[in-house]
Amino acid sequence: MKAEYINAFYLATQDVFKLMLDLETTRLGMRVTDELVPFREANVVIGVTGDLSGSLLYSFPKHMALEMVRIMAGMEMKELDAFVTSAMGEMANIISGNALTRLFEHNYRCDIVPPQVMIGTGQSLSMATPSAIVLQLQTAIGNFEVSISLRTK
Amino acid sequence: MMWKEKYRVGAELIDTQHKELFHRVSNFIQAVQSPQPWENKLEHVKETMAFMQDYVIIHFNDEERFQAEIGYPELERHKEIHARFRAGVQGYAKRAADEGFTEELIQEFGGRLMAWLIMHVAAEDQKIGQFLRSQQGGSHES
Repeated sequence: MKAEYINAFYLATQDVFKLMLDLETTRLGMRVTDELVPFREANVVIGVTGDLSGSLLYSFPKHMALEMVRIMAGMEMKELDAFVTSAMGEMANIISGNALTRLFEHNYRCDIVPPQVMIGTGQSLSMATPSAIVLQLQTAIGNFEVSISLRTK
Repeated sequence: MMWKEKYRVGAELIDTQHKELFHRVSNFIQAVQSPQPWENKLEHVKETMAFMQDYVIIHFNDEERFQAEIGYPELERHKEIHARFRAGVQGYAKRAADEGFTEELIQEFGGRLMAWLIMHVAAEDQKIGQFLRSQQGGSHES
């Protein structure tokens, strides 16, 4: 996978976190994995079609997901209920859409499939590539991962 | 409270309507997330769904008229974004009418509505404010 894919998702995540949550996001590291497995409690999977195709996985610890939605709603959230997971799904959708706009500037035309939220860890997802890049990100309210498994048409 | 001062665009009508939208969505979320039995919340939920369907049309029309008045260069693009937002609200209203106002569906709607509204006002609508200030030579005070 080319660096411009990864950077587009990193920059889009940074932008959306700043705009929607007033949070700075920094990169802790990056690793390569040969399977796409949610390793946090709150996960959003988004499919990508077009010049690039595959899957994106946003993986958040429960306490962080609840805090993200608390910041948006201005009220405490107790459970990963349909309200919280829907807001998380939409936020991941916005980040992905923003990243695809950036990729369009590099002449990749892609669309996204509506988000699917998965609660819990362990369930392996199918990958478009033999390996995926996992971006490890840090904010003041917790650390999370964005996994990118995309292949060129 | 969902509204933040940073969401101000700098045009009184738009800011007043945005505040009203945030106020209504905030009340809606509080009602949906309150620990009362679902039946007790239903009336408020239905009322807010009806309000949102009407108010997004009023607000988007007013905002588009304002953008035309100031010669906002991204008006057509902004209209498309409004159309998608409107379709999203109407889609949930239709699902609620067809499938019933279930707690699961309305919670899902609430989560999406909140994220749409914040992103739209915090990102897209701020560009109107930036344009407005650039037209006024940076001297505009909100």
